[in-house]
Amino acid sequence: MNAMSNRRGANQWAVAWRRFRRNKSGIIGGVIVLFFITIAIVGPYLAPYPPRSYAPLYQGDAGQPPSLKHPFGVEESGIDVFSEVIDGTRNDLYVGLAASLLTTLIGIAIGAFAGYFEGIVSEVLLGLTQIFFVFPALLLILLFARVFSILVFKGLGLTLIVLILSFFGWSGISFIVRGETLRVKQMEFVQAARSLGAGSMRILFRHIVPNILSPVIVIATLGIAGFILTEVAVSFLGFGDANTPTWGLLLNEGFPYIRTEWWVSLFPGLAVVLCVLGFNLMGDGLSDALNPRLRE
Amino acid sequence: MIRRLLFMIPVFLGVAILTFLIGNAAGNPINLIRLGLRNPNPAVLDALRRYYHLDVPVYERFVFWLWDLMHGNLGVSISGRPVASQIWSWAWTTMELQIISLFLAIGIGIPIGIYSAKNQYSKADYVITSVAVFGFSMPTFWLGIILIIIFSYDLGWLPSSGAAGISFAWWGNPVLDQIAHLILPVAVLTYVGLATIVRLVRANMLDVLRQDYILAARASGLSDRRVTYRYALRNAISPIVTIIGLGFGASLAGAPATETTFSWPGLGYAFTQAASNLDIPLVQGITIVITIMVLIANLVTDIVYATLDPRVRID
Repeated sequence: MNAMSNRRGANQWAVAWRRFRRNKSGIIGGVIVLFFITIAIVGPYLAPYPPRSYAPLYQGDAGQPPSLKHPFGVEESGIDVFSEVIDGTRNDLYVGLAASLLTTLIGIAIGAFAGYFEGIVSEVLLGLTQIFFVFPALLLILLFARVFSILVFKGLGLTLIVLILSFFGWSGISFIVRGETLRVKQMEFVQAARSLGAGSMRILFRHIVPNILSPVIVIATLGIAGFILTEVAVSFLGFGDANTPTWGLLLNEGFPYIRTEWWVSLFPGLAVVLCVLGFNLMGDGLSDALNPRLRE
Repeated sequence: MIRRLLFMIPVFLGVAILTFLIGNAAGNPINLIRLGLRNPNPAVLDALRRYYHLDVPVYERFVFWLWDLMHGNLGVSISGRPVASQIWSWAWTTMELQIISLFLAIGIGIPIGIYSAKNQYSKADYVITSVAVFGFSMPTFWLGIILIIIFSYDLGWLPSSGAAGISFAWWGNPVLDQIAHLILPVAVLTYVGLATIVRLVRANMLDVLRQDYILAARASGLSDRRVTYRYALRNAISPIVTIIGLGFGASLAGAPATETTFSWPGLGYAFTQAASNLDIPLVQGITIVITIMVLIANLVTDIVYATLDPRVRID
């Protein structure tokens, strides 16, 4: 029994992989994502200066345009932009991946319960999802980030941003999971499991959730892109963590000097565009590969 | 319809509770305001103490505050000016920007999306989808920064900030001056909105063009134009209306980062500054007003959706 279910599982993902491999833009996206993950891992060995280092200032290089020594130029304050873009990769990927993972877990839990159970519990959970869906999320994210960062969660750094992004970001995935759960719970294999005496939790998390993962994976991948974009905006507006290098923080620091020092704004922005593009292309590719509607 | 209207109450209450709680995160709003402001005006603080009813327990304060909200009394900001009247002027500036961009994005995006779908996998289709996915992957405000660097500072063609010049009018005329200030922010917001709409129209049209009734319409000898616009678009448009409506609701918050980039005196810019100064009454007021506008926009969207698609009923 076990061996058989294992083999079937492998086949399902193998089919998806075969479809994904033929999708040119999906593969390009995957390569871009792998590139950024590599940079995030080997970053500290690659960056000429440590994070938030003002060393170029003492070498008299503050505000210098791009050169061989400083490929992306130097900030007015003396921070080397190339080093910071590399260090920012690790931190921005952390925010994107962690927030997407957290919202996926919250979304699966709430969406699955709302879809599987009937009555007051699911009504309340659905209502909660709808309410969070309509919230002016970005404003509340900025407000929470500002108040919490000066009050209680001082040393939390980017993790605070991850928690706030996740708190306001789970409703989309919860809707998808609820809809899929409603569809799948009608199917014969769920009835079979129930007639064999499986409990609600076992049916829900061993039988239903594994069968609705395809759309969840697609939304989670696109979610990484979305959360990185939101983090960049939050940090650009000065509501992020000023002690951790992120692409948004660089854009924030470069903004007062855009008239003269364009390089501080150009290169971190290009990194954001390329990275987010990678996750979006990969997400579109996964969507084509996993979407059963388009399967021949 | 009733159910739809009733749904607005918990959303409104949810936002009210969240903004009230965050305002009282340091015990009461005055404590929080003092953290952000070194030399607050004592007269304003006194007025705020009375407005927030600091002499009663916190749950009673919430009721008083909510009661004031319902009656349009949003208190005074730490600058001493009433919040409600400030919000209206910002709301208009934001709407000006967002509505122009939205109409441009719809007007350009739908025909391009249709063209792209009808010529799937052609060279033009590849170009369009690539340009669209870039717009989808770009921080809006960053595109604004790049355009400011090129068109304002390098070429000197357009103003870099504000909604209208103060000391000198661009192109020597107050109307042209307004247009000059609109061009860059509108271009940025239009491109990003366009990217979403093109992707959506293309995907929906591809779906619809594969249907049997399109084949049937073609087989009965209808012109390509008629099939595309009367048969296919009519069926592809409903989900697009929803996304546009939701997007418009969200855009009422005024794209804080884009407005900040252009120093555009709208709700998003004002909110960013208020939140960073811990101007609690202003922050609470803007959040509440935007929530109400979003709810109205969503309701209108649902009504339009139901009008376009007779199968849909608003319950």
